Amino acid sequence: MGSPLENLETNLEMFIENVRQVRIIVSDFQPQGQQNVLNQKIQGIVTGLQEIDKLKNQVQDVHVPFEVFDYIDQGKNPQLYTKDCIEKALTKNEEVKGKIDSYRKFKTNMLLELQKTFPTELNMYRALRGDD
Amino acid sequence: MINYGNMMHADQFRSKVETYSPKSSPRGARSPVVSRQDSSGTLKTTISLGKNPSIVHSGPFYLMKEPPVVLGESELTGATNLMNYYGLEHSYSKFSGKKVKEQLSSFLPSLPGVIDGPGQSDNSSLRSIIEKPPIVGKELLPLTSVQLAGFRLHPGPLPEHYRYLNTAPARKHKNKHKKHKHKDGTTPQETSLMDTSLDTHEKKHKKQKRHEDDKERKKRKKEKKRKKQRHSPEHPGMPLQPTMF
Repeated sequence: MGSPLENLETNLEMFIENVRQVRIIVSDFQPQGQQNVLNQKIQGIVTGLQEIDKLKNQVQDVHVPFEVFDYIDQGKNPQLYTKDCIEKALTKNEEVKGKIDSYRKFKTNMLLELQKTFPTELNMYRALRGDD
Repeated sequence: MINYGNMMHADQFRSKVETYSPKSSPRGARSPVVSRQDSSGTLKTTISLGKNPSIVHSGPFYLMKEPPVVLGESELTGATNLMNYYGLEHSYSKFSGKKVKEQLSSFLPSLPGVIDGPGQSDNSSLRSIIEKPPIVGKELLPLTSVQLAGFRLHPGPLPEHYRYLNTAPARKHKNKHKKHKHKDGTTPQETSLMDTSLDTHEKKHKKQKRHEDDKERKKRKKEKKRKKQRHSPEHPGMPLQPTMF
């Protein structure tokens, strides 16, 4: 027994394969003997749907972003979404880090300059803040 | 600076000041009488320069904000490499290192049919499942023999307009280098299918030609051999047949 997602994947693949076989049978139908096979395949589709339905409770905790659906609907590889997300996060991370670093530099420079101009006040300020 | 109004008596003022003595104030030298919205703020002032310079107090001014508790250690900010922090470097290197193939079929290679086209065109989009949810909650039961009778089919191949579904998805490596050529409105999928079919047709044609050429060459060789054999004395067993011309 694999993970619930693996089980669902296997079941979906089996279901798709079953439908593909039905399509082959139907595309050039020969009534001699094939009607029974077709009937079995149709029952197989129903069983497949039942199996998939049973598995839905096991994958309730899986959350999929809506944007992934857009990628799939456009015929794009959903891994591109992951890639785009990672790249966006990295860019934002770098951007914010840049801002924080700039503010830190600004704070240091400001304290230096304030120390030069208002040494007494700044000492009081530092004492009040508790950073010596 | 602070207008307490003429209504306030000196005694009242004194008693108020005494209760709010700077000595008892936790914030030190700041005037405690002035009510503030923010406990850590002082007065916000607007300084206007020019002909009539003025200073207008307009609200709280956050100069003496409480120092944050050891910033950088307890608080997670964008200053840290979040990719490292959450252990996602592997995923990052996986996706940034190699080029991810764009087509959906490269993610689901075992899926039959053409799946790289937009889902809206053949009404197979996942969005439509969310926007128009299907009927659910009914029990799935196997079909009875009466219901199965509805699936009795006519013998023979499918009508022409249903057959396009049977076309196999085009191989990517074949249409890869031809992508830039198609700018006349046709989708690359269609054109690639057309191209590949044309290509294979041409190849077949060429093969057939080669095959025919080979046949002719062999025939000529055989004839030459026959002629030689007829004229050579080494083949006495070969009966001399009258040739019909």
